[in-house]
Amino acid sequence: MSEKTILYVEDNEYNRKIVRQLFSATSYRLIEALDGEDGVAMAQKELPDLILMDVQLPKMSGLEATRVLKADARTGNIPIIVITSFALSGDREKAADAGATDYLAKPYSPRELLTLVRQYLPES
Amino acid sequence: MAPAIRGNIRSQRKLHKNAAHPKTTIAPSPNDPSTVEQRAIELEDFAELVESRTPVHRLVRWVAGIRASVHTKLLAGFMVVALLFIIMAGVSLQIIVSTTRQAQQLDQAHEQVSWAQQGEEALARQMHYTNLALLSQSEAAIAKVLRENNRFNDMLSKLEATGMAQQGLLEQIRSSQDEAMSVVADIANAIRDGKLGPITGELLRRQERLDDQISDQVGRLVEAQTSRMTQLRDSVAAANKRSLLLTGAFAVAAVVLALFCGFVISWSFILPVHDAQSFLDQVAAGKFGGRISVPNRDELGVLADRMNHMSQELQRFDREQRSAAAELGRLNEQLAQTSKAKSEFLANMSHELRTPMNAILGFTEMLIDGLYGDVPDTLKEPLADIQVNGRHLLRLINDVLDLSKIEAGRMELALGDYSVREVVDIVHLALRSLAAEKGLEFTTSVPDELPVAHGDNRRLTQCLMNLAGNSIKFTKAGRVEIGVELAGEELIYSVSDTGIGIPKEEFENVFAEFRQVDATVTREFGGTGLGLSITKKFVEMHGGRIWIESEHGKGSRFSFAVPLRAKAEAT
Repeated sequence: MSEKTILYVEDNEYNRKIVRQLFSATSYRLIEALDGEDGVAMAQKELPDLILMDVQLPKMSGLEATRVLKADARTGNIPIIVITSFALSGDREKAADAGATDYLAKPYSPRELLTLVRQYLPES
Repeated sequence: MAPAIRGNIRSQRKLHKNAAHPKTTIAPSPNDPSTVEQRAIELEDFAELVESRTPVHRLVRWVAGIRASVHTKLLAGFMVVALLFIIMAGVSLQIIVSTTRQAQQLDQAHEQVSWAQQGEEALARQMHYTNLALLSQSEAAIAKVLRENNRFNDMLSKLEATGMAQQGLLEQIRSSQDEAMSVVADIANAIRDGKLGPITGELLRRQERLDDQISDQVGRLVEAQTSRMTQLRDSVAAANKRSLLLTGAFAVAAVVLALFCGFVISWSFILPVHDAQSFLDQVAAGKFGGRISVPNRDELGVLADRMNHMSQELQRFDREQRSAAAELGRLNEQLAQTSKAKSEFLANMSHELRTPMNAILGFTEMLIDGLYGDVPDTLKEPLADIQVNGRHLLRLINDVLDLSKIEAGRMELALGDYSVREVVDIVHLALRSLAAEKGLEFTTSVPDELPVAHGDNRRLTQCLMNLAGNSIKFTKAGRVEIGVELAGEELIYSVSDTGIGIPKEEFENVFAEFRQVDATVTREFGGTGLGLSITKKFVEMHGGRIWIESEHGKGSRFSFAVPLRAKAEAT
């Protein structure tokens, strides 16, 4: 069980594809959710090692999902990197308030994303 | 006119009472005239009671309804009062004249009594001298008798001349006197002839009889005159008493009538003033559109008409204003909703634009990084072009969104401590390769001992990046330098270049949105045309200012000054 699982919650198909292809060259196992509610359910079921959470999601916003997961004892310790739109001032503060471990602004460079993930979850 | 004056005082008092000091209470001082005022108020209330509860009310309304000016009414009232006093003066004069006449009559009667008494005395002396002549047989006594007789006759003549004494009695007295004088003549003759002796007795008897007779008659005359005088005196006293009563009654009646006249006239003015006062109180309280109805057909009536007009106009204005306020409120709400929708739209657009950009730039980067296998040399340049243009599009999107947020007032600075050198280094590092590509000398000049600054370092970096990026873009050869200096409490960032420069008349325009010196410049050099505008706004949000020094064709120097420690309220 040395394989490390990363949950990516994102509704845009192309962005999921980028991350999927980016991580295909790594040893990480990637699981995906398409909306906030689905993301929370999957996190509680799979208990991943790290979560990449988009802010703007259908059904439940990324910030709300982060709040729920951080309040849950089983998922509270999982690092969550929130991906925001960067444009609205206070996004960084909102992410921190919701309990996000770190923060990445869209559009991110795949290189940067990989670096940040490795920082919190080194490849075995 | 006393009620009118009281009425005025009352109006002032009411106005004073209604003035906006309801909570101010002043402790009465010992010399306070409030007790006097208190009494005046009681009198006034009484007057009001009289006016409202008695038929005087109808008279007051009738006077008010007379179609005449206030001036005419006042004059008429004054004339009535003046007329009353003139009549009173005439009556008094008449009484004085009649009293004077009666006094004269009394004087005459008194004189007559005096004359009668003098006559009585003269008669007594005449009798005495007659007796003396008889006894002394002296002619000298006869002369004295004649003298007294003359006096007596004078008296009789005076009394007869008045024509008022009892003429019958006077006749009797005169005949008795004539008889007495014939006795005296006999005595005188007897004395002259020396024959008095034998007839003395007879003469003495005749004389005594006549004496008694005349004394009795004169006594009656005196008595009659005295009683007439007494009667006259009594009648004069009665007449005087009557005049006094008449004068007094007339004076009282005149005063009462004058007061009544004043009361009615003044209340015909006070009533509409009271009505107007309560009407204006209502208007002042915001109850517009009411009507005041006064019976007056004088200036006060005209005033009431004007007030009605004013009230209606006020109501109209009030309605218009209320509907305008409601309309404004509605518009305001609409605006707020629009503004909210705009903000939401901005947030959504920001996300919606960045998501595909993320994919485009992400896939390009992974292609270039060889994640999908080795990239053929022929594809390397087009891939780099995609990446450059993608990033440019992203900058454009960022600038437009930033500017929209600033315009919408939703941009907030994130203030914090920062290192000026770090800001300059970030900009220098980011643009170094671009300058190098163009063969430009790109330097920085930052003093060694700069204190820690306070501000939004990300936005200030953006500002400096915009200025330096522009300079590099517009400079074909030479150098670009970023400089910082501390002037008192102000940090001055500047970027100097040896570029194309800017004509003076364009200095203002360069900070306007989507303006570059000319359109061809945009095509030649690229750029969003928003950078300077955004920079200016960020600098101003820091409480700073931005300016240009430039010489066309020789180069430009863009500078902005911000407080070393920006304050939150300045943003």
